[in-house]
Amino acid sequence: MPSSAPEGLLEFIVDRINVGILAVDRAYRIILWNEFMASYSERPAREVLGRDLFETFPELPRKWMERKITGAVVLKNFSFASWKQRPYLFRFSHNRPITGGIDHMRQDITFMPVLDDQGEVTHVCIYVYDVTDTAVYQAMLQDALRQLAESNNRDGLTGVFNRRYLEESLEYEFTRARRYGHRLSVLLLDLDHFKRINDTHGHLAGDEVLRQAARRIASAVRNVDVVGRYGGEEFLVILPETDGDGAHVVAERIRALIAEQPVIYDDTAIDISTSIGLATLDEHMAAYTDLIERADGALYRAKDNGRNQVVAHTPGG
Amino acid sequence: MSISFRTVSHLNEDQRDALAEIVNIGMGQAGAALAQVLGEFVILSVPRIRLVDSQAVPETLAELVGAETTVSAIRQPFHNHLHGEAIVVYDEHGCRDLADIMGHDECTDERVEQELLLDIGNILAGASLKGVAEQLQAEITFSPPSILATHVPVERLLDPEALDWSYSLLIEVNFTLEARRFKGHLLIMLSEDSIDTLVQDIDAFLESL
Repeated sequence: MPSSAPEGLLEFIVDRINVGILAVDRAYRIILWNEFMASYSERPAREVLGRDLFETFPELPRKWMERKITGAVVLKNFSFASWKQRPYLFRFSHNRPITGGIDHMRQDITFMPVLDDQGEVTHVCIYVYDVTDTAVYQAMLQDALRQLAESNNRDGLTGVFNRRYLEESLEYEFTRARRYGHRLSVLLLDLDHFKRINDTHGHLAGDEVLRQAARRIASAVRNVDVVGRYGGEEFLVILPETDGDGAHVVAERIRALIAEQPVIYDDTAIDISTSIGLATLDEHMAAYTDLIERADGALYRAKDNGRNQVVAHTPGG
Repeated sequence: MSISFRTVSHLNEDQRDALAEIVNIGMGQAGAALAQVLGEFVILSVPRIRLVDSQAVPETLAELVGAETTVSAIRQPFHNHLHGEAIVVYDEHGCRDLADIMGHDECTDERVEQELLLDIGNILAGASLKGVAEQLQAEITFSPPSILATHVPVERLLDPEALDWSYSLLIEVNFTLEARRFKGHLLIMLSEDSIDTLVQDIDAFLESL
């Protein structure tokens, strides 16, 4: 201990510092209990000094702590615990009673052996750091990152997946299906006469049509299928583990559901329908873009044949 | 034991032998302490000492730990007389053995697993570094350990682009627990400025003989 510090200064600092400091002897009796520990535990020093740590605080994980303390004693070395693995040691309230969002004070713990002149460990000093703010910020950060990742994948207007995500998913599904010999189909949809809807009813009505169409498509597929907005009024549906016949059933269901009811916007009923091109993976396809190209060709024929219908790409055709 | 490259290569033979001996004795003491804490006999290998260029870190790690291995690792910072970080690398199968040793029933979840990696890493790195520091009559202080990576290929443990040093003195020891499959590696990495300190320490050690 530095001899230059005025008498009582170190004791004063140890008592008042905003870190929990306690010390136990080799029999786990509490021999130091600073103001931080007293105020958060609501147990003043005079009540706990000389008493057994684990009897006084039965909620402490005794086996774990004994191991930590023994480690510090035998190795004469620091040992540590982090809130990330063990949120807290002492069940203290925290200084966010209002803004909260967390149950108890998060704590980082350091166990420090105290050695005498002969180099023998006489006590173990335990520091309790309040890291509640760090834990709260970390939770906020993770939340933000999750939202960011999610919004990166979504189309802002319709809420279904965006083109970037569609292409990533399709590439993944294509590679998987090719490798394991699984089935895979895609549907490319284009809303019929969308330009006319925009021109007649305005862009806001057009936006509502896109939102409704996206909702109807999403309601007609399974959880494992991926629905996204591919372009202006184009949607792509990825159907893993689905052959041409199965995909045709899904496509027909979507087509019927979209045409079934008009979209209501500003008390106006807008009739809508969609043309659908269908393509199924075959051994001639080298890349996921081949699937989209075939579906696009089939979609073109569906438009050509009079719209509001499903056309499947035929291999070799 | 291989000692190579710039600074270490200008160590003379006496200095090299002394460093090897210091590390060997230190590790021996660590082994005894570990046996006491873990209740298991820990077999420590002969230390390998080398100077590594930061750009060569992925290859060096792959060579020391074994390429094509998926590993988890913790880092234990130390400072005071010597300054650096110790990295403890675990193979994928160690967790259940660790859980058993540390008095858990099983490796139940990620949090328990990480706590085990940190605890064992802290004990191993702490005991070994203290053993070495005692030979040098130096004080070493430790900061809390943290998880470096879990379940990554060994080459990806440290990214050379993210390292802001050019070379480091690396001491590698691998450890196995008798009668268990468990195997791990301890990598003590000294910062550049600590290498000069260490060379002075070696000279002092030699004079004291």
